[in-house]
Amino acid sequence: MSLVKLMLPAPDFSLADVNGNPVSLSDFKGKSHVILVLNRGFT
Amino acid sequence: MAQLRRDYEKFVAAGAQIVVIGPESPQAFSAYFTKEKLPFIGLPDPTHSVLKLMGQEVNLFKLGRMPGQIIVDKAGFVRYIHYGHDMTDIPANEDILSLLENLNKESI
Repeated sequence: MSLVKLMLPAPDFSLADVNGNPVSLSDFKGKSHVILVLNRGFT
Repeated sequence: MAQLRRDYEKFVAAGAQIVVIGPESPQAFSAYFTKEKLPFIGLPDPTHSVLKLMGQEVNLFKLGRMPGQIIVDKAGFVRYIHYGHDMTDIPANEDILSLLENLNKESI
């Protein structure tokens, strides 16, 4: 079930990038807006 | 993806980072990002943990997960959610840029 609701804090997450470095949504807080693109397959 | 890359500099100028999350393996991500010269942050999510958390929809008739875009502002709040109904249901760059412009006006 999605925890994403408009005008509420986004749920934080952490994933490793393609180089293995951890990236969390909270890393961007206070620095930049984030456009999260939920992808499905590279075509 | 090509659509977002086209205006990448405009998104950055508007104070935004583009973070792509997908179910592919790190190898597939790396190969595609290198091939297409994508400047975005790519986060493989092969267990779908974050994709589920973010509410990405599954359409069994369309063989898998549907695209989605979520904009989180600098304060960490969700300001825009778009879940696509098919692979071509993606918001226009102009709409996203307009939203970012409004967010920047709020923070002045």
